Amino acid sequence: MKKFLGITLGILTAVGGFVDIGDIVSGSQSGARFGIAHVWVIVVGVVGICVYAEMAGRVTAISGRPVFDLVRERLGPRVALVNLLGSYAITVFTLGAELGGVALALQLLSSAPYLTWVPLVALLLWLALWRVRFETLERIFGLAGLALVVLVVGVFWLGPDVGALRHQALHPGPVPGETWATYWFFAIALFASAMTPYEVFFFSSGGVEEKWTPRDLVVARANVFLGFPLGGLLAFGFMVNAAVVYHPIGMRVDTLGQAVLPAGMALGELGIALIILGVFAATFGAAMETGLSAGYTVAQFFGWSWGKLRRPRSAARFHTTVLVSLLIGVAALLTTIDPIQLTEYMLIFSAVALPLTYIPILVVANDRHYLGDRVNGRLANLMGVIYLVIVVAAAVAAIPLMVFTRVGG
Amino acid sequence: MALLIGFDLLDRQILDRDGFPVGKVDDVELDDELRVVALLTGQRAFGRRIGGVLGRWIGAAAARLAEKEPRRIPYDAVDHVDAAVHLSVRAELLPPPALEAWLDQHLIRRIPGAGE
Repeated sequence: MKKFLGITLGILTAVGGFVDIGDIVSGSQSGARFGIAHVWVIVVGVVGICVYAEMAGRVTAISGRPVFDLVRERLGPRVALVNLLGSYAITVFTLGAELGGVALALQLLSSAPYLTWVPLVALLLWLALWRVRFETLERIFGLAGLALVVLVVGVFWLGPDVGALRHQALHPGPVPGETWATYWFFAIALFASAMTPYEVFFFSSGGVEEKWTPRDLVVARANVFLGFPLGGLLAFGFMVNAAVVYHPIGMRVDTLGQAVLPAGMALGELGIALIILGVFAATFGAAMETGLSAGYTVAQFFGWSWGKLRRPRSAARFHTTVLVSLLIGVAALLTTIDPIQLTEYMLIFSAVALPLTYIPILVVANDRHYLGDRVNGRLANLMGVIYLVIVVAAAVAAIPLMVFTRVGG
Repeated sequence: MALLIGFDLLDRQILDRDGFPVGKVDDVELDDELRVVALLTGQRAFGRRIGGVLGRWIGAAAARLAEKEPRRIPYDAVDHVDAAVHLSVRAELLPPPALEAWLDQHLIRRIPGAGE
């Protein structure tokens, strides 16, 4: 039973972390424009996050230390400081996008404009991070996020053209009317949404707070290898629904309402209600994770006390950082930037910053000083190096493609 | 105990005897025979060590926020060093981190529920 509960950490990380506003936007947009011709990117992304989250979990379980904490020891203070600035900026950027996602979900429910919801959502989020027992939240949002399963089930009610979907999946590349540049632009956005850096910060910091030991490695691995693929399946749900509903009529997805509509077409009001609940839970869960992760990165770099299990007075600097990060996220949204656009930019800049997160993890996971004989085996290193090449290629290509395609065109 | 200062001490997390984070080893203090006599921690020590514009900026910001001197932890208080530097004392016996105290006093403790 205890093991079963431990796995909810993985499910929350997967549903709130794997499926967040980034996956909803990139999955729906690429589904509408390219059908499921990007499905392989989701598979590549899921395997990548599994490879690196397993390393991060192992480092944490053996050394008792969160990954970001070790980065500074191994990269030196200057490089690590640059890493901190990049990671922190991306995490706060993501926090803003997730908050916007929650507000958009509430707008769909209430028809009150999303901007009026932003301050309220931010207040709720801060209260959640300040007071509520995190384990409770973890379970509530982990389970509510599973409502997104309606997407995967609902697609069968939409009468999908299976032949066309199979053709798209087996012939990756731009469909008529699209170019290779836009195809790769969306591929990078999808890849970045699968490998968002805050997932590993959150995952390994959570492990430290739950006091993982080498004996918890089994649970940590179960979290990774069950949770992330499940999250990937839900992200695929958004892609395939958009591919079935919007792609044949050449329509693009620019709003959250369009992204959730297919579930309503398939399953009626119940479908709409469930998917909005799922979107709310996934984005709110991700907002909690990014808010905490912003605090984790800064506190762990400077060696401050941190954690959601400590009372705030024992971690004043950490809680102040979380609060300030939240205010920055709110301020970004109050510029009235469209949260969907904010998400698109966030994904591209995440792609640029991915090497900052994943190179140090690969280095630390090979360090016998921390891991003894539990360092990476051959398979983990082979996969790690392959993904490092992919991550660096995506980082290099992201900005040129963004400029060349004018953010996807 | 033979340790490489650069590799085994600097930038390592310091934990008290109960595992409570105390700070990073931002710098060390040596005696005339180049033995480590104390660990220095805090943003001032950090800023001084990395130098440059950013280092000066971090140091100045820390000074402004009540951190007059780096916190000094005598090396006698170190119990052992593994993935972290473990102290043999509790964090309360050390000088409190200035920024933590300042933020606690002016912000965090004024918010309901901070002590629970």
